Amino acid sequence: MSAAIDISPWMLALGYLLLLIPLGLMLALRARLLKKSVAALLRMTVQLVFVGFYLQVIFDLDRWWLNALWLLVMIAVADLSIISGSDLAFRRFLAPVGTSLFAGTLVPLVFFNWIILQLPGIFDAQYFIPIGGMIMGNCLRADIIGIRTFFQSVRNSRKAYFYALAQGASLAEAQRPFFRSAFESALAPTVATMATIGLVSLPGMMTGIIMGGADPATAIKYQIGIMIAIFTGTAMTVYAAITITARTSFTEYGTLKSGLFKEDRRKDKKYRGKNKRSET
Amino acid sequence: MNAQNSIGTALRIQGLSLAYHNRPVLEGFSLTVNRGERVVLTGRSGAGKSTLLRCILGFDRPRGGSIWIFDRELDGETVWPLRQKVGYVQQEADPGEGRVLELLKRPFHYQANRERQFPEKRVRDLFRRFRLSADTLQKEIPDLSGGEKQRVALVAALILDRPLYLLDEITSALDPGSKKAVLEYLGDFQGTIVAVAHDREFARVAHRSVRIPFIRRKD
Repeated sequence: MSAAIDISPWMLALGYLLLLIPLGLMLALRARLLKKSVAALLRMTVQLVFVGFYLQVIFDLDRWWLNALWLLVMIAVADLSIISGSDLAFRRFLAPVGTSLFAGTLVPLVFFNWIILQLPGIFDAQYFIPIGGMIMGNCLRADIIGIRTFFQSVRNSRKAYFYALAQGASLAEAQRPFFRSAFESALAPTVATMATIGLVSLPGMMTGIIMGGADPATAIKYQIGIMIAIFTGTAMTVYAAITITARTSFTEYGTLKSGLFKEDRRKDKKYRGKNKRSET
Repeated sequence: MNAQNSIGTALRIQGLSLAYHNRPVLEGFSLTVNRGERVVLTGRSGAGKSTLLRCILGFDRPRGGSIWIFDRELDGETVWPLRQKVGYVQQEADPGEGRVLELLKRPFHYQANRERQFPEKRVRDLFRRFRLSADTLQKEIPDLSGGEKQRVALVAALILDRPLYLLDEITSALDPGSKKAVLEYLGDFQGTIVAVAHDREFARVAHRSVRIPFIRRKD
């Protein structure tokens, strides 16, 4: 089989013509999505052009430290996006989530490259960057669900949580059911994907490898390996993220610290403002 | 009615100031409850009765003052062993999900209660006494009525044999018959009880009532 055929910029530009169909349909329906779609298409193009540009540089240079640095930058960006996308207060969660993303990505990635692929250099850009990116993307999604579910459920089921504490539960014992359900919710999408993979649609990695010129037998081996790595990575990162954040987010009395949620801070500010007015 | 039958203090609250949702509810409140005494706390809604009970368990933190349970001051360290001396039934009890029997057994798996045996016979006796049918044990908690939940939560607390009980409106959803049964039981109870209650009947089984003053907002 041959490697994937390159697309010339002109031909790709021609590809944009296909967009006349969905955009035309939106215009006909006066769908409010039109503006958003155009903006999203522009963003997609610009982002991918940039990514393509610096990935090309990274692949051409192929230095282990540069590849590792690239992954660290991706983790940092992912970390920031987790925190700003959730309703949790920013600063307190930045370091623990970054640490858990790092652990959840690096361990399965090194295992995959070193043990399964038996690469002479585990930081080889061709494998390190796409596989690392895939594991990290899944860790990111799982962490968002895990952390949010954990803290929101402790807060929303305060009565059940206090009930356990009042009955003599230690902090870890009282947190356990919330930890368990947050862990389950975070891992459920990966489990569901594994159960249906190949039936509903061909997974992205497998498609890429086949188009890259490999035969389907090689492609499924990669796909199985990556799914195992993703599953391991998500389990590790969610476990670490909840454990580390839980350690710093409860008072010595076992209650949730205030100011963990963005809305707490807003309420607090509002109250302080009100108080100030009533004093003057 | 006979007052305390053993000597010593179960609960001492000194100069406590509390806020609920940033609104001051108690200011400089003091209360001493002797061992074996049954005290009922009354007062308007929003006066801070439930907040006071939560504070005794360390679930809410006071703005000032101190709390002593069996002569030990409540702080971040003592709160853990002290919680094991206190039984708590919260208002509109919501003990979570699962079957009633599992709920009752759960605390016996906690490290702190591990040497205790689950008292199955006592559970059945208390169920009979509080007019709960035996098949309630197999029901799912969310399927229980408000009154059933209150009585199940009371049984769950009682079987832990704590020397001090904090009961927050535990008869509010009970029908007259069950209420009478619960109050009769509490009237003979040997331990210490601090209960929040709106109704007069509860006051009849208590040794004394303490009214929590309502603090008006100054703005």
